[in-house]
Amino acid sequence: MYQDALLLYLVQKFCGERTCSGIYHLLKGKKSSQSVQDSYLFHVAPFFHSCSELSRSCFDARIEHLQRAQLIKPIDAECTRFVLTEDGVKLLDVFPENRLIPDGLKIIDQINEEGRFWLKLQLLVQTVSALCQGQSAFLPVVRQPEISEHVRRLILSGPPTRDQLGRIVFNELYQLFLTMPDDEANSLSALLSGWKASGLTLDQMAEASRRDALECSILFKSALRRMMNLFVGSPDQFPFLSRLLIGRQSSLSKTAETTRKLLQTGLTLHDIASKRHLAVSTIEDHLVELTLKKVNHWLSDYLSTACEQQIMNVADHLKTRQLKPIKNHLGERVSYFQIRLALAKNAVSGRKVVRINEQ
Amino acid sequence: MSSNQSFLKQAQTILKEQFGHEQFRPGQEEIIVNVLNGRDVFAMMPTGSGKSLCYQIPGYLLQGTVLIISPLLSLMEDQVHALRLTGEKNVRALNGLMHPFERSRVLQNLRSLRFLYLSPEMLRAQTVIKALSKITISLFVVDEAHCVSQWGHDFRPDYMHLADIREQLGQPPCLAVTATADEHVRDDVVRSLNLTHPAQIIMSVDRENIAIIVQKTANQKEKTEQLFHLLEKAPYPGIIYCASRDWTERLAEQAKQKLGLRTAFYHGGMDSIDRRKIQNQFLDNQIDLLCCTNAFGMGINKQDIRLIVHFHFPSSMNAYLQEIGRASRDGKQGLAVLFYTKSDEQLPEGFIDGNFPSDEMLHRVLLQLDQGTRSLADKNEFMSVLMEEGVSETAARFLFEHASEKPIQQTYSSLLDPCRMRIKERVAVQVNDLSIMKNYLATSSCRRKFYLRVYHEKLQEKPAYCCDRCGIPLSELMQRIPKKKRTELRLMDWKQKLAALFQESGRSPL
Repeated sequence: MYQDALLLYLVQKFCGERTCSGIYHLLKGKKSSQSVQDSYLFHVAPFFHSCSELSRSCFDARIEHLQRAQLIKPIDAECTRFVLTEDGVKLLDVFPENRLIPDGLKIIDQINEEGRFWLKLQLLVQTVSALCQGQSAFLPVVRQPEISEHVRRLILSGPPTRDQLGRIVFNELYQLFLTMPDDEANSLSALLSGWKASGLTLDQMAEASRRDALECSILFKSALRRMMNLFVGSPDQFPFLSRLLIGRQSSLSKTAETTRKLLQTGLTLHDIASKRHLAVSTIEDHLVELTLKKVNHWLSDYLSTACEQQIMNVADHLKTRQLKPIKNHLGERVSYFQIRLALAKNAVSGRKVVRINEQ
Repeated sequence: MSSNQSFLKQAQTILKEQFGHEQFRPGQEEIIVNVLNGRDVFAMMPTGSGKSLCYQIPGYLLQGTVLIISPLLSLMEDQVHALRLTGEKNVRALNGLMHPFERSRVLQNLRSLRFLYLSPEMLRAQTVIKALSKITISLFVVDEAHCVSQWGHDFRPDYMHLADIREQLGQPPCLAVTATADEHVRDDVVRSLNLTHPAQIIMSVDRENIAIIVQKTANQKEKTEQLFHLLEKAPYPGIIYCASRDWTERLAEQAKQKLGLRTAFYHGGMDSIDRRKIQNQFLDNQIDLLCCTNAFGMGINKQDIRLIVHFHFPSSMNAYLQEIGRASRDGKQGLAVLFYTKSDEQLPEGFIDGNFPSDEMLHRVLLQLDQGTRSLADKNEFMSVLMEEGVSETAARFLFEHASEKPIQQTYSSLLDPCRMRIKERVAVQVNDLSIMKNYLATSSCRRKFYLRVYHEKLQEKPAYCCDRCGIPLSELMQRIPKKKRTELRLMDWKQKLAALFQESGRSPL
């Protein structure tokens, strides 16, 4: 089953360095600096926010299942951190990689817009579907005021007649879906709602397609990311729908983006913290995020090359990406912040952590 | 009298042309004629008896805008939706969850509106009052009017200001409507809303087209068996009310496996988009059986639900009647079945406590408000933070509403004792409601007679299919209930789906 392979893969990638919660937050796309950072540190960024509807109880049940089936084993007394067993490794090895990570999933440049984009797309399609069938009354699936406002403006700026509006949305979606694997196009389209054509929930789709809900979610996300990528890359081909993405086009979170701008004006970390009335640690999180996303021209102000080298040597020596052991080893010579910066920088440059299964 | 007859005639024309109904239902004509005569009206009509028509029809015959004060956002949205479905475009809502742009667009175009739905807290904003005082208000409708009474089940402090606001708006005629209110609450409503010599139209809470069965079982296992026995031959679409999210999921799964029904579950723990999808599928007849908590149903306007099952009993007669009242609103035969077993009796008591903040929480929140570590500035923020701390939604709302009522010169902590008093009173009311519900389950006489007595009514005429105590020939009843044709909910490939969304089957892509 897909969901088992996915969780095995992530357990393997995390090397027992994070608790299960870390995996869960990754799949949910928790907007904490820790989760964002982990997704880069452990080279699993495509899976960030990939199963945003996964419930904790479902996740816990799957982990328990894997443990009972002896595909994973705990490495701490509390049973929160796991590594694969030999059986787990075997099972994972035979699972086709392109099914595990569909290509579209890897396009993560627009990751911060993904949630909003999907809400806008659903509301737009539902509205246009109703409009082009002469209906002005329907119960919208999306009810966030900001999203409605955006979609409203988009529709008002579109073609003047309902018929033309319907045709342009239909045609652009048709062209989009043609460019992707059918499985992905089918998944995304099944979730869309329209007039007398209610969308399925992920669970319903899973049942109807005989896949598990996680695979449905991954297929859908892959399709969604391909779509956003095309809108950014070739807006001329999709003149109407690509406007769903106009606005911010950045993989940086809004707040990290603000910090970046202030950094550019020459302010220091502490200046920014007091100017924005935020904690210093919050601004540190932003700098780590900037480093992960390779916006790091300022890095030498906070982390010298020598210091970075020292940290990475220790990290490699200890075979860990956990802060505490590294800090214990180096003591007062480096700060936690510097360790995080060093790990972040080296995560993007592709250095991998190797860990031999213990016990 | 002749003017009444001409009113009636006009009302009938609107009923037919705008709403597509041939005939008024009981009570509607009397209310409408009184409203058209400019009288204040207090009307009590049971759930599902068409109370919205009583102000919607006058909207077409009176000059100006009908204001409808409604306490629940979802209710408001569904009402606006229902009016839009009839082709009415001049209807809008104003509530706290709107985008500021949308709100100002509505306020700028008030004059063109036939109907405006408002949440009570919107009427506390001076900009709103100012804008409203510039237009003609033909009718001031207070929906769920029992909320104005502190004796009611859902007292809303915001409702206490409605009389003042009506005065500020030039005292337009008022129609106060509610589904359930005992005499105590009725008096309270008339007084608090300052209704002058109102016409009081009190209709029976009875819905004679719904047959009622209450079935006691020995244990949970037998209860489930009995349920599936019923579901094998039951009419659909139907709803099963459960006390917990777990049960909704479990029963939906079992009914799908065992009976091949198209089932779904619905509860407050689901993503809001998924909830809306399930609701739309149910309305579009793509689901036969919906297993849900009491989170489902408020404002749902579906005429042909045939079966309401309670797998756990609700905590008051009021909630029970409201829930079974969702069956067969089109007036055809419907069925309501409640299953219970001894161990169910502990469930509702826990809910009552959960409806209010604990003493410790109350104390802490008031203190934090005084210290400025918690703020009332943003209601949603205030509520969601509390709910993350494990406080129930009703308890969080209780805290917000009572804290918002603080007089300027006092501290929040000074509200502690009044709040404790209020909680004690309300708990006592709810405990009493629960004991009436339990008595209903235990009664050995006619169910209908029992609940009518709770509302100080007498059974006028026993319907042919009354209740389990009076005896119901089940198979005969089943035949009386209309059957529904099923539409399949199926997985389409993307080409089919696009065609379905845009009805483009005949058209090929560019």
